[in-house]
Amino acid sequence: MVLYIPSDSLLHRLHPSTKIVGLALLLILTVAFQSPWYQLVILSGVLLLARSAGAFRNLRRILPLMITVLVFSVVSWSLFRRVGDPFWTFGLLSLSTESIRFGFAMGFRLEAMLVSGMVFVSCTKVEEFAYGLRAIGLPFAVSFALSLAFRLVPLFFTRIGTVVQAQQARGLDLKSGNVLQRARKYVPLMVPIFVYAIRDTDLLSMALESKGFGMQGRRTEYLSFPFVWRDYAILGLLLILNIAGWLMPVP
Amino acid sequence: MNQPILTLSDLAFTYRDAPKPALDQINYRHRSGEFTVIVGETGAGKSTLCRCLNGLIPSFTKGRLEGSLRVSGQRASERPHVYELARIVGLVFQDFEAQLFSTNVELETAFALENFAVERDQMKTRVEQALNRVGLSGFEQRDPSSLSGGEKQRLAIASVLAGSPSVVVMDEPTTDLDPAGKRDIFRLAQVMRSEIEGILLVEHETEHVLSADRILLMHEGHIVQEGPPGEILADPRNVERHGVRPLQTTVLLSELGLETDALTIEDAAARIRSAGWRVRASAQEILDGTSRRERPSEPRQSVVHIENLVYRYGEAPPAVDGVSLDIAAGEFIALVGQNGCGKTTLAKHLNGLHTPTEGEVRVLGKSTADWTLPELGRRVGYVFQNPDHQIFANTVRDEVAFGARNYGFSEEKVVQKVDAALAETGLSGRDLEDPFNLTRGERQQLAVASVLATDPEILVLDEPTTGLDYHGQVAILNLVRRLNESGRTVVMITHSMWVVAEYADRCVIMSGGRVVQDGDVRSCFSNPELLESLYLEAPEAVRLGYEFGLVARSVSEIAACLERVEE
Repeated sequence: MVLYIPSDSLLHRLHPSTKIVGLALLLILTVAFQSPWYQLVILSGVLLLARSAGAFRNLRRILPLMITVLVFSVVSWSLFRRVGDPFWTFGLLSLSTESIRFGFAMGFRLEAMLVSGMVFVSCTKVEEFAYGLRAIGLPFAVSFALSLAFRLVPLFFTRIGTVVQAQQARGLDLKSGNVLQRARKYVPLMVPIFVYAIRDTDLLSMALESKGFGMQGRRTEYLSFPFVWRDYAILGLLLILNIAGWLMPVP
Repeated sequence: MNQPILTLSDLAFTYRDAPKPALDQINYRHRSGEFTVIVGETGAGKSTLCRCLNGLIPSFTKGRLEGSLRVSGQRASERPHVYELARIVGLVFQDFEAQLFSTNVELETAFALENFAVERDQMKTRVEQALNRVGLSGFEQRDPSSLSGGEKQRLAIASVLAGSPSVVVMDEPTTDLDPAGKRDIFRLAQVMRSEIEGILLVEHETEHVLSADRILLMHEGHIVQEGPPGEILADPRNVERHGVRPLQTTVLLSELGLETDALTIEDAAARIRSAGWRVRASAQEILDGTSRRERPSEPRQSVVHIENLVYRYGEAPPAVDGVSLDIAAGEFIALVGQNGCGKTTLAKHLNGLHTPTEGEVRVLGKSTADWTLPELGRRVGYVFQNPDHQIFANTVRDEVAFGARNYGFSEEKVVQKVDAALAETGLSGRDLEDPFNLTRGERQQLAVASVLATDPEILVLDEPTTGLDYHGQVAILNLVRRLNESGRTVVMITHSMWVVAEYADRCVIMSGGRVVQDGDVRSCFSNPELLESLYLEAPEAVRLGYEFGLVARSVSEIAACLERVEE
């Protein structure tokens, strides 16, 4: 994917299906707990994973987002959620030890989810993602379409950039005017962008068909990933954590 | 023996809802081992023919297909799916951006093999072979988007070759490439012809096709002529009438009243000499005098002044790396260089689409940092490479008026400017037509008109001739020349070296983000070694001039420098 960082770390070498299922298990695990301390442990865990996969470079890119998410959820959950015994109230707003705990738990959970997702995209190529989905049992056409979408999004954005520049060069000013006037200004952008999207899709479909896409019957794979002990180990560990987490009574 | 690999009998195709057939009465046999080039004007049916050959027509693009196509002796209609024919007939498209979709070179090449269910151990070898064949060994792990244009197109060819088709069909593979990229593709075609059963290639530039076994000249859906290059290309008038730029050797021969069947530069020069033509003693004065316009004795006013310009996209190495350039009012500048050398990035500084990372760009006496983007955009008209990136209106008139209205001209002034722009571009009287019904060449003229309506002093054109046939190219070039002669400064980015030679006054060559050569066009062409080292090549007419020790910009200049000596 766009954010893929080449490396030879343990996480990179995992079977693609392990990466996908592992991500899912991690996300489920974060939902198992309500305690901020447990969430903090999970968050530290995924941060360690990010460290080992060399994904900090990508985390730095979304640092502003991560900070916003943390601050926003801590503040809003603490103030708006009415649980326990508030030691301060003001209209709709209140604060209690429980609501603050909850705010931090939610904040850490969202952070852990963000970081897990980032680790996943940092160590998984588009083709691996598609391969992993197929190995789990998704049909080829579906997994291919999904991976193609990842591939085409950046391409589509460059096309949009060109059209915007072409119209700006003709004096299109998207910043001024009221809502209605501004909405009308998007027409000169939308028409060429749609023309382009249709034309590109058409060409791509022809290129795909010309290389045997859609052929019936068996298909072979150029990539091949052995499913080995580390995959069993990782998935086993995550499974045990999940079972323990969901069976545990309180936190 | 030598059984035809492709046999087309009375093939005809009409696109759904089209009033007349795109292909009609096509009869053609492609024999094993042949290299055939298809030439013809826009709309002649070249792409349609290519798409019939691998089955995209009629299974992907619908319409009425008549007649028969046999591939390896078997009727194509018995193989109703594209993938069945595609194993035998591989197709490469012009647009290399749109046909690549993988994240690395190796996987791109393997895609067809996966679909054809080739076993993994064999796949590795075939991918290796295909990449080796197109000269991309060692690029296996590279992201296709990081390759140059020429490399992308060679990758597209490798991805087709890997499937070991019997025939490879290439639909204008070199149109978007720089001269070096073009040359690589034709070298590759030469190597491939000995290894596969057939190559068909659509091409606009006749000088590249001399090595072909056979040429098909198409016109309005028909193959009007078929034969070896020596036969088809030897009649420059006929070639030109069908929208193809004739070989300049044949044009010169015909201008001198000689037999036109000497196609290569060496042969043509030999024929001219043996017919008693010699270089005039006054040749140098003639050439000095034919510079299109007298250089004014007074230094002209500078309209663009660029100083130590550096521009970086994000953290990448600079795309423009320390460029200083002065442009005087009324100049016609060609900006040339390999794909990705920074031409477009530099040009986008002139109308403020880019702002310098370092250095300064002054336009019409004021730093671009001090201009507002709209005001600068009005004074510097920028015509983008592809007119379809900007056309959106329902009528030609509204399209042209768009810029003028954006800049807040009074409706009266808009009408007046639009009328003038339509007249200048030859689109008068077509105000109410739908722009999407115009031909590609007319749409390019429309794009120029829409820029003219804002009355700019400077015109920047990014590859205005790409994708046009010869008539379309000449129309747009003559338009630009007229606009230049009426006083506008022109900066034109181009890959076509003949366009540089025949139309520009000054040539600026870029390489790796720097200006490596800047001077009047003739001086640029007086140093073929330098051009070669920059992966550029003097055009055919100029190289023909070299044979006579002349640095001429066109065939008519050569003719003017020759005289017949009676034996």
